[in-house]
Amino acid sequence: MIDAIFEPLSYGITLRALAEITLIGIVSGAIGCWIVLYELSYSAESLAHGLFPGLVAAALIGAPLLLGGAVGILIAAILVVVAGRMAGESPDTAIAVVITSLFGAGVLMALSPDSPAGLQGLLFGDLLGTTVTDILVAAVIGSAVLVALWLLHERLLAVGFDPGSGPALGVPVGVLNLILLGLVATTILVAVQGLGNLLVAAILVGPAAAARLLTRRVWPMMLAAGAVAVTAGVAGIYASYYLKTAAGASVVIALVLCYLLAAAAAQLRDRTAAVRH
Amino acid sequence: MDAKLSDGERHRSASPGSGLRERPGRKLIEALDLAIGYDGRPVLSEVRFEAWYGSRIGLLGPNGGGKTTLFRALLGELKPLSGSLTVEGASATVPQSDRSRLDYPVTCLDVATMGALARLRWWQRPTRGDRAKAAEALGTVGMGDRADDSFGDLSGGQRQRVLIARALTAEADLLLLDEPYTGLDSKSAKRLDRLIEELAGDGRTVMIATHDVEQAQGWDRVLCLNRTQIAFGPPDDVLDRKVLEATYGGHIVEIPGEPGHGVLPPHHHDHEDPVHRDPAHGELP
Amino acid sequence: MPFVKEGVIEILLLSVAAGLAGTWIVLRGLSFYSHGVGTASFPGLVLADGLGFSAAIGAFGMAAVFTALSALISRSRRTGADSVTALVLVTCLAAGVILASDVFGSGAGVDSLLFGSLLAIGPADQLLAAIAAVVALVSTRLFSAHWLARGFDQESAPSLRSGSTWFDLALLAVVAFTVTAALSAVGALLVVALIVVPAATVRLVTRRVQTMQTGAVALAAVEGILGLWLSVKTDAPPGATVAVVSGLVFALVLATRNLRRSRAAAFAITVLGLALAIAGCGDGRAGEGDGRITVVATTTQVADLVAEVGGDRVEVTGILRPNTDPHEYEPRPSDVEAVGDAAIIFRNGGDIDQWIETLVDESGSEAETVDLGAGLPVRISGGHVHRTGSGSDVPAGGTTAGGADEAGDTDPHWWHDPVNAGAAVATIRSSLSGIDPEGRSGYRADASAMSRRLNSLDASIARCFAAIPPNRRRIVTEHDNFGYFADRYGIRVVGTVIPALTTEAQPSAGDLAELERTIEDENVEAVFSETSAPDDLSHAVATDTGVTDGGPLYGDSLGDSGTAASSYIGMMRENSDRIMRGVSGEMRGCEVE
Repeated sequence: MIDAIFEPLSYGITLRALAEITLIGIVSGAIGCWIVLYELSYSAESLAHGLFPGLVAAALIGAPLLLGGAVGILIAAILVVVAGRMAGESPDTAIAVVITSLFGAGVLMALSPDSPAGLQGLLFGDLLGTTVTDILVAAVIGSAVLVALWLLHERLLAVGFDPGSGPALGVPVGVLNLILLGLVATTILVAVQGLGNLLVAAILVGPAAAARLLTRRVWPMMLAAGAVAVTAGVAGIYASYYLKTAAGASVVIALVLCYLLAAAAAQLRDRTAAVRH
Repeated sequence: MDAKLSDGERHRSASPGSGLRERPGRKLIEALDLAIGYDGRPVLSEVRFEAWYGSRIGLLGPNGGGKTTLFRALLGELKPLSGSLTVEGASATVPQSDRSRLDYPVTCLDVATMGALARLRWWQRPTRGDRAKAAEALGTVGMGDRADDSFGDLSGGQRQRVLIARALTAEADLLLLDEPYTGLDSKSAKRLDRLIEELAGDGRTVMIATHDVEQAQGWDRVLCLNRTQIAFGPPDDVLDRKVLEATYGGHIVEIPGEPGHGVLPPHHHDHEDPVHRDPAHGELP
Repeated sequence: MPFVKEGVIEILLLSVAAGLAGTWIVLRGLSFYSHGVGTASFPGLVLADGLGFSAAIGAFGMAAVFTALSALISRSRRTGADSVTALVLVTCLAAGVILASDVFGSGAGVDSLLFGSLLAIGPADQLLAAIAAVVALVSTRLFSAHWLARGFDQESAPSLRSGSTWFDLALLAVVAFTVTAALSAVGALLVVALIVVPAATVRLVTRRVQTMQTGAVALAAVEGILGLWLSVKTDAPPGATVAVVSGLVFALVLATRNLRRSRAAAFAITVLGLALAIAGCGDGRAGEGDGRITVVATTTQVADLVAEVGGDRVEVTGILRPNTDPHEYEPRPSDVEAVGDAAIIFRNGGDIDQWIETLVDESGSEAETVDLGAGLPVRISGGHVHRTGSGSDVPAGGTTAGGADEAGDTDPHWWHDPVNAGAAVATIRSSLSGIDPEGRSGYRADASAMSRRLNSLDASIARCFAAIPPNRRRIVTEHDNFGYFADRYGIRVVGTVIPALTTEAQPSAGDLAELERTIEDENVEAVFSETSAPDDLSHAVATDTGVTDGGPLYGDSLGDSGTAASSYIGMMRENSDRIMRGVSGEMRGCEVE
């Protein structure tokens, strides 16, 4: 039994994957709560495609790819907020318009003979391919995101609760939304390198959605989301080790199972509560 | 303290909320030939009135008559298109409680504490002192014992009072209540009446948007709006049939036995802000 | 040009469904859902590929599953619709990855299905688009009042007699059908551009539902045709062009509407316009026919071999370029034109260039397609060699052990064996002689020159590896595509890092751990990555096991022009040299002349 727990840890690959998923799980738990409360799941899933044109542009002018990706994804985040506000559209539609246009532009730019093949793949990592650098970057940027979230906590809480009260409370709602989406974009940029696009979307949304079913306050929600993310991440990696299933996909399945468990628990709780009353 | 008025400008006092009790009888709001609107098109014009600390002002008017627009101007969200609007002191809004997100994971104390943000610089976070102040505000509105309850678990009237507590934590001199009586039972409505009276007694000005003409008669002033200002003054002087008809465009349903009084026909939400209005609405084939 | 006509018909048919469904998507906030339905088709495509039914059935089946799951989970009260969509989407994709990686070991063919194209439209696609148009028209006629009422006010809807969630489900189904029907035209990632963006643009200027629908249908048609026209003019992929055109039109309309805040709009337009401008610079295609025989070759290595044999008499158009990822190939107008003009078409065979069949149909080409892989000895991917003679019969490592036998597609990477390349040269020579008898002698001369070079290449690679004891010729590669090379030179590919050839495939922790154990047990000398894929996994394996990180090999494609690997022979030299350096512990390379 004990062996079964420690055996995977003797491999550097699983060890680094566990470290990466733990770090990103904690950050995702926190920012995921705002993604869920601000209904930003579409952004969380799609913004990663927005880094494509930046990536191609960087490759064409010979700038560092990561820098290009960062600029690309931040421009995408800004355009989403600006277009949404100007059009008076739901952010949903703004994301659809901005991301597909940018992605299309990226595809066209990538036609240039100077752009290397499989560019997007270069920035989209695999959980098992995590390097020590990835872990360090995740630790540093993750901490920065957590600090920013802590500083903004009350304002995010107030505006999420009642956006109309923003101006009266001296909180510029547009700027706050922009900062939040910027933080989401930053998290995605760091996380896609370690986890890949599929897993990033899952870990940003899944744990927070599960935590929301079980908790009624934001701090406990964040803690629960972090715990769910880390638990599912570890469980997924162990499943991938013993069942030999694709690592990232296994973590995603574990995350979804956690959500379904939480939904069942919430249902049960409501039923018993209803019976008691 | 009174700043010089200038066209198209809106002034705020630099020291909001200080010494409320000492200042009854002082002017809090002054609107001079005010016109407000969106994208250069006025929604509300020819508004001229003034209000004093410690008064209760009823705001009457049909949907689309300009009530929400006036609120937004008083909050500083909209700049006057012409004329001027001066608010000495801080203002806070109390939205309709049935529009708040009931599944949002916050306690009453959390909500009340949000008000403190209005007094803080952007990098400051609410302190323990602010939370104490919020708890005190909850006590003021009679919700002191529910501080740790989830906001979503409260009744409509209770939510209303928590939102008022939020405005109190913001130390607002001017409270803007958007149809606060909607959906309240008579007991809660009486309670809210008393609370509004207390707040006014403390020197705060409370402006209440309402459809209930009868209720407005109990307050210090009424302001009737329908795209322009129809009337402003003590309710007994102002609320006659002619004014009400001008305010509501003739759509008055008489209450039998009470000539001159009326209530509005079917209630619908008041929404004048084109940014938030869904263009597809109101076009049911 | 016939292919443009087919594309225009497809756009006109699709725009009806797109405009109608798009209006509801925008009014009811279903953008994410429509994006999700498109992207979630992946597991359907994997299943279709693995079990051998049509891709369209796979996509429609997945769309139905996606819709049902979304409807089911959204009944849970405290999860927002957007989170539900995200959860269902990632579940579907994860299922697809596991199916592709661990069940079927899918080949690259799955990827090409994700990238539709307006240039490869068949009658079946048009039929689907027509059905989608009819479905959208009929359902809008029947349900639009209910859909509008429910969008207007969810809570008062019951009193309006549209309380049933069946109406919502019907709407989701119509959207799903439209999206899936459009997949073959624009691909999963850009389908939203054709459906959502026109409706969102029209909504900026009108507030009436009927006007919006008519406008969205018209705009979708105009933008689609404009995009197709521009793509033919600039020789860009039509899907991406339609997306950029739609985005620009949206930005323009937004800017003119919001003149007051035009600075931000100007910013947005500048960014998009800049992107388009840069993209526009990205191309420029030279050369019209000058009496030479025009020949099309699918992959880079086939193009090089054909050019070697054809010499000055033929003009070879290679469709895949060194810098296009073969897994994400989307045809350009010039590709279809080239196929249409070609006197003969050479393909590699297998699922590497399956897309050529559609391209041939689409272009109306009468030319013969020569499958160079057809006559060659068959090797089953997964490691089993159905051939007598040298080479290993060891299953390719931990990653495919167990799953390999069922997977058993033929391995299309035959060119990594120079003898096969020699056979291909002979086939090319006889095919070219067949259509151009006058050039026969020239082809024979060039072909035999090439054969000699291939023979000496083969001999010197063999000599080179002979210097290394067979038990040290053990390597691990990124994908399972060096089987032929390994068989030829007595190298054992002990395992591969990625279990399948689709770009979506992921390894498992258990397989990689087993691979690391195998590497240590079998004294593997080196681990290699691949030029067209991320190298982080092979780096990690090499680092952990302490064996040589052999760097990237050319697996699917030649190198960029200007690099040593830009020709077939150069590519083989580079690969041999790198593998040799790897197995000799960086002591020596292969000096291949």
